[in-house]
Amino acid sequence: MNKQRSKDYRQRIDKALATPKLQDALHKFGDAFLVARGNAFAKYDFEAMRDEISQMKTSVRENHAELLQQFTQNAEAAGATVYLAKTAEDANNYIAELAKKKGAKLAVKSKSMASEETHLNIALEKAGTKALETDLGEWIIQLAGQRPSHMVMPAIHMFKEEVAELFSKETGKTEQAEIAHLVEVARNQLRQGYLDAEIGITGANIAVAETGGIALVTNEGNARLASTLPKTHVALVGIEKLVPTLEDATKVVRVLPKNATGQPLTSYVTWIRGAVPCDGEEKDLHIVLLDNGRSTLAESPQCQDALNCIRCGACANVCPVYQTVGGHVFGHIYIGAIGIILTAFFHGLENAAEIVRACIGCRSCVAICPSKIDLEEIILSLRETIGEEEGIGAGKDIVFRKVMRNRKLFHGLIRAASVMQKPVTRGESSIRHLPLFFSSLTEWRTLPAVAEKPLRDVILQQEQEVKKPRYRVALFGGCANDFLYPELGLDLVTVMNALDVEVFYPQEQNCCGVPALYSGDKETAIELAKQNIDAMLEGNPDFVLTTCPTCTMALQRDFVEHLKDNPAWAAKAERLAEITVDAAGFVVNQLGAADQFKQLAASEKVTYHDSCHLKRGAGVWKEPRQLIETAGHDLVEMDHADRCCGFGGSYSLTSHPEISKRILGDKLQDIAESGASCVAMDCPGCMMQIRGGLEKQDSKVRAQHTIELLAEALRQKK
Amino acid sequence: MKNLPELKKSFVAAAEVVGAQVVDCKGLKQAVDYLVERVDGSLLCPTFVSGEKNGLADKLKKAGLKVVTEDFRNQAASAQAGITGVNFAMADTGTLALESTAEDIRLATTLPEVHFALLDPAKIYADSLEAVEPLRQLHQRDPRNYIAYITGPSRTADIERVLTIGVHGPKELHILLVPKLSNDPLEM
Ligand code: SF4
Ligand code: SF4
Repeated sequence: MNKQRSKDYRQRIDKALATPKLQDALHKFGDAFLVARGNAFAKYDFEAMRDEISQMKTSVRENHAELLQQFTQNAEAAGATVYLAKTAEDANNYIAELAKKKGAKLAVKSKSMASEETHLNIALEKAGTKALETDLGEWIIQLAGQRPSHMVMPAIHMFKEEVAELFSKETGKTEQAEIAHLVEVARNQLRQGYLDAEIGITGANIAVAETGGIALVTNEGNARLASTLPKTHVALVGIEKLVPTLEDATKVVRVLPKNATGQPLTSYVTWIRGAVPCDGEEKDLHIVLLDNGRSTLAESPQCQDALNCIRCGACANVCPVYQTVGGHVFGHIYIGAIGIILTAFFHGLENAAEIVRACIGCRSCVAICPSKIDLEEIILSLRETIGEEEGIGAGKDIVFRKVMRNRKLFHGLIRAASVMQKPVTRGESSIRHLPLFFSSLTEWRTLPAVAEKPLRDVILQQEQEVKKPRYRVALFGGCANDFLYPELGLDLVTVMNALDVEVFYPQEQNCCGVPALYSGDKETAIELAKQNIDAMLEGNPDFVLTTCPTCTMALQRDFVEHLKDNPAWAAKAERLAEITVDAAGFVVNQLGAADQFKQLAASEKVTYHDSCHLKRGAGVWKEPRQLIETAGHDLVEMDHADRCCGFGGSYSLTSHPEISKRILGDKLQDIAESGASCVAMDCPGCMMQIRGGLEKQDSKVRAQHTIELLAEALRQKK
Repeated sequence: MKNLPELKKSFVAAAEVVGAQVVDCKGLKQAVDYLVERVDGSLLCPTFVSGEKNGLADKLKKAGLKVVTEDFRNQAASAQAGITGVNFAMADTGTLALESTAEDIRLATTLPEVHFALLDPAKIYADSLEAVEPLRQLHQRDPRNYIAYITGPSRTADIERVLTIGVHGPKELHILLVPKLSNDPLEM
């Protein structure tokens, strides 16, 4: 790993974290965005719309050569000049040459991420042409000498006072920090630019093969001016912007503004085909189609879906990491989830190496993406690639390869840890500093002690009286349930037995492999998948139950994915995936047994925290709520119930504890504001994070697993 | 058959949400009166079919307005307003479609601070997908196109995400609903 690069990155994080105003702005925007977006889609079926877009974009990728040819032919027939640029440099050279030929002193630009990608302004400047950004946000950024921190709202990180200062320098007068006034200043300052410029440069949101035309989706009206007044129009367009027909284009246009900012539609959608009239002549229209890594991306089976992106920016809007550190940390030129991926392909793996680890894996981006891209999965696979290229760090390497793959050694070491921590814990269930596997980062949350006896031992002593078992299920504990919270496993047995289900604990099960996978060590993850498949299928259970949704995703999704091309293992992995189910979902859906808990509990005000992988991985969120309410609790919703708690395994322990801490802070605030005395959840990882945070604050609120609440209700009945 | 009153109602509602002012006019006369009340500078009046057919420029001149019909490149920057027809509209988003290949249409709708648009309510489509048909016909009819979908006035939220109207384009959009102007979406 590159030390200097990491150091710079850490500094950027620290700087962002020291700007609470920025976090506040991004949080507020995230909230307002979700409300506006909800309204914009109220009359529409978002899931159906995104299915359509994703299918259409996938077929575009598959028929790219033909569509490109069709587009080019039609555009040229309408009088446009089309140039296919292989690289950023190629595109810049073409445009700079053109500017020279035209003797252009000034080019007015409307917003184009593609031109940010190629650093076009610098190339133009070298050729003697000044590039003037006319999009308000871009102009602010240009005056400040920065780069955009958001793909749709480039200056979202700046405040009106800073803008006023920049504008004052520009006009030579003191401009008031009042937004309407500042907008007026921009209007007046930029007007002359359109009239003076020899060239107008725009991007395009869509290129339509059927017509050979492009579409621009904008709000300010500057793209209309930039494409109308100057004699020459250059449109710099990524080749992934192609769609086959006007219907397809319309479908993109319909979704884009709704998902970008929650607007039903932007003020302007401009359909331009060919060399239109311009001051008594014909416009000189050049369409520069930019490849710059896109073809390579199309050939990567793990990552190619990223080309389906329509650049709405929503994956950043909802991302807890983005909301915490902003786009200057969590991005390069492109930002947020998609930014990580595009950076790797457009600007080189090197530039993505740090941010690829900054994703906490919460899948909020996946749920909101209008092109239905599994961004989190792609980010994981990139992490693997970077892990292979750069290594994953010597310490981790030894733990994963030498220790975790050897279950007996791994578990032996955890047991040893349980003994070693003793003098420190003084019998308390939580300790401030944990040896061995956990870092000493406990200033902002306590960490649980390793249990004296793991679940795998104590469960053997638990008597199970099930006369006529409906099912025999195997419990997949996962490391946290097994070694930190064995009582949770015992509660699961209590609950299952009450529902006539017998539980057994396959002793050969090992870690689900997610920690290794998230660190980029796929080889270890595969080895662990095999060990677990054998362990869990042995004994032929009716179902495999989990109490940890991250493990659930590993068993349901990752194992299948790792082994799908391995004939000896593929079918077994599929089988395990089929019978794996999370505990709450099992009670409600498979057993239909929610009513058996009816009014058993001593009622308490409970709020529910959705674990990322349960809600957005397994699609389970109604079930636990139903169980809690049926049991007789007063369920109150907290704000942002499905926002990540910031745990993310080693994310919070070693890789990004500072960011994790902030995200936890948000969660604790939402819990406190709900007024509940108990926060329920279905993930031991979230329990570790939230319980630790609450304890550290000396909060009276308790954090419990839904299964624990059910077992408690059963005991209260007795 | 289209349910015209319904379409008109939802069009008006959607257009007003995005800040357009929509006025129901009985005829062109009422529309001209509306302009007279609001325009005291020069008014760009480009050539478009329904305007020509109905002698719009003359009517505006007679009403005492300072109407500009040529040399837009030099006149547009100082003009107060522009007036155009509309090819068709979309109810769900309150959107106008203007075939703006003729440069004068573009200059009249981008540079002045106010845009008046005359729309025959018979040309309102339910949504953008339904409107692909006339959009495609326009592409088939003309070899080159500059077609503008316009939804409310120009806007930005680039400073602190505060919605502000009128950054580079018109600050006001007035949609004048005038029946029997032209029911052909290929015709402005
Ligand atoms: S998975 Fe979560 S943390 Fe990662 S990029 Fe997506 S939204 Fe951000
Ligand atoms: S990846 Fe999806 S959510 Fe992110 S910008 Fe692209 S289309 Fe939008």
